[in-house]
Amino acid sequence: MRQYLLNIWNAFWTVLVGMRLTWRHLFIPAVTVQYPDERWTLPPNSRMQLFVNIDDCIGCRQCERACPVECITIDLIKAVPEDEREASTGHKVRFHVTKFDIDMAKCCYCNLCTIPCPTECIYMTPSYEDAAPDRFDLIYHFAKIPPEKIPELEEKARRFEEEEAAKKTKKKAAVAAN
Amino acid sequence: MTAEEIYQRLQERFGDQILGFNAKAVDPSVRVAAAAIHEVAEYLRHDPQLQFDLLMCLSGVDYGPGKHLEVVYHLFSMSRRHKIVLKVEVPRQGGEVPTVCDIWRTAEWHEREVYDLFGIRFAHHPDLRRILLPDDWEGHPLLKDYQVQEFYHGVRVPYVGDPPQTGLEVYRTQEQEP
Amino acid sequence: MVTQLVAGEYHLSYERQGDDLILQMGPQHPSTHGVLRLELVTDGELIKRITPHIGYLHRCFEKHAEAMTYPQVIPYVDRMDYVAAMSMELGYVLTVEKLMGLTDLPERLQYIRVIMAEFQRIASHLLAVGTYGLDTGAVTPFLWCFRDREKILDLFEWASGARLLYNYLWIGGVMQDLPPGFAEKAMEFLDYFEPRVKELNDLLSFNQIFIERTANIGVLPPDVAISYGVGGPNLRGSGVRWDLRKEEPYCIYDRFDFDVPVGTGEFGTLGAAWDRYMVRVREMLESIKILRQALDQLPGGDPNEAMPRRVRPPEGDAFMRTESPRGEIGFYIVSDGSEKPLRCKGRSPCFTAISAIDAIGRGGLIADAVAIVGSLDIVLGEIDR
Repeated sequence: MRQYLLNIWNAFWTVLVGMRLTWRHLFIPAVTVQYPDERWTLPPNSRMQLFVNIDDCIGCRQCERACPVECITIDLIKAVPEDEREASTGHKVRFHVTKFDIDMAKCCYCNLCTIPCPTECIYMTPSYEDAAPDRFDLIYHFAKIPPEKIPELEEKARRFEEEEAAKKTKKKAAVAAN
Repeated sequence: MTAEEIYQRLQERFGDQILGFNAKAVDPSVRVAAAAIHEVAEYLRHDPQLQFDLLMCLSGVDYGPGKHLEVVYHLFSMSRRHKIVLKVEVPRQGGEVPTVCDIWRTAEWHEREVYDLFGIRFAHHPDLRRILLPDDWEGHPLLKDYQVQEFYHGVRVPYVGDPPQTGLEVYRTQEQEP
Repeated sequence: MVTQLVAGEYHLSYERQGDDLILQMGPQHPSTHGVLRLELVTDGELIKRITPHIGYLHRCFEKHAEAMTYPQVIPYVDRMDYVAAMSMELGYVLTVEKLMGLTDLPERLQYIRVIMAEFQRIASHLLAVGTYGLDTGAVTPFLWCFRDREKILDLFEWASGARLLYNYLWIGGVMQDLPPGFAEKAMEFLDYFEPRVKELNDLLSFNQIFIERTANIGVLPPDVAISYGVGGPNLRGSGVRWDLRKEEPYCIYDRFDFDVPVGTGEFGTLGAAWDRYMVRVREMLESIKILRQALDQLPGGDPNEAMPRRVRPPEGDAFMRTESPRGEIGFYIVSDGSEKPLRCKGRSPCFTAISAIDAIGRGGLIADAVAIVGSLDIVLGEIDR
């Protein structure tokens, strides 16, 4: 009987101890953030949405290979020498990047793609509000070359290759003739 | 006790059931004939000088098509602080290993997992069912020559072809129809 | 041949006897911490048998890993135990390093690893303790624990850039060095957090109602725990002083001075749910101790000095286990000398813990099933892998 009463007393007392704590917390400013009105300041190296600065992309496909979930797809067309240009880091851009798609629905924000990039043109930005009403809106297209220009570029690359091959056979023939 | 000593003790006791010892490996391992694994395990568990009371890990390994499968037992003694690895070779087709789940209870689920993912059967196991995959799944995925089944409950796996309609698209088409 | 199985514990198929009722708890049950289905065979209010059904979150990371290079596996390992991703990374990374024979690592890297693992332990225990309060009906501690956990996640985000799945600890290095001023900020947090543990004790741990609810249910005897391979706080709750950080020191844990709290059974039976809970609370204090020492001694230098450019372990296999917040996480990696692992198995602590649920919960009340599952602190991502 005494134990029984003691238990009841204990229960009351320990609840009171807890209540005193919660009471004290009434006067402590809240830690919650009223999200759409207030926002967190994110640290500068936050890993959120991926972004590609396509002007600097040299089409080396390092990021595509590094991605563990295969969310990056890249299509390239070889550029003819007069179309070659320099990226802002001084690397030669020898390819037209006709397709640089990142499926953000697949992306796991692991940062593995940004490390091997020689020109640091793919990086993670601290923007995180990128919800889309449709799944296919989450596939981001970064390539700038309009699709109607692709056959032209392909034709150019093909012709250049043929010319090169012809030059080579000519050279070979010349060597053989000598 | 070092792995070498444990191997010698095992060899004295079991003779030609012990097939080899790899002392150079990162974790020294003893090869045991599949039929003898239960006796060996029982000896290791109950011998007063060995007392392997903890089965740390039980895993299956597939060494590629045309080669054998393997069941690996990582044992540890919490009272004696020594460890040993037992390896059992299993043929690819119809391999069977005696269960050790009456010695270490943790083996029950681990053996179920190995059965699920590799198809190695454990004789005298009390409850040898699939554990991670659904009961009606075909094949054992961690085999190197595993072929994914074509249909599962009428759904093609893995999905190929046009991307499926999203809910929003379905909604839009329904809206347009009168 | 095989001796007889432990008497009366196993049945191949269950035959319904008398008025037995089979109760399906889950897969979507608020207190199963994921998608877990428990099949309870009940006799009135008593549980006669618990059969867990798992696999709802299965994505076979082991098969994925066979197609990945070693560094690419790390994001997958993160997703095993998604509330203690740093500990998972640490286990995997140490196993690959053991396989490669990579031992000569910079001091700073070792310290960073310990700091991250211990912060992760606190964060994970906060979640475990908070949700356990929620399971037993106390909402306030849950919110308070999450408030403090967020502060740790802030620190992680500052260091690695991500809040939950970090991909921070790499093989032989880290993704990026700690930002300047991290140690001070971390110390500030520890000073803030230490009194909070006492608050938590006042609020929940020593609350008589909570004690009555948990101190005598779900008793896990030590020998059963070892036989089932249960490790970590669940094993220590049964009174076994076993902590891999002490017994098999990896990283540099042998340099720090800390205790290993074990269950005492002060309010009920030894090895009951309350003991497992209390071990977690006390472990947070020990982690604070380790963190204070590690942050004090944190040396300078470049943590990525010894990072190998290509990870290509020699042929062979290695098994290594580390103390994750939920128990002993082990990785078994077989290499065939190429850049991709031939086999990568994760031996997850929750997997063994949930396999013991029948031994723990049998004979209890249905109402206690939730409290028992909660006290084991399982994460289904790790069970199903």
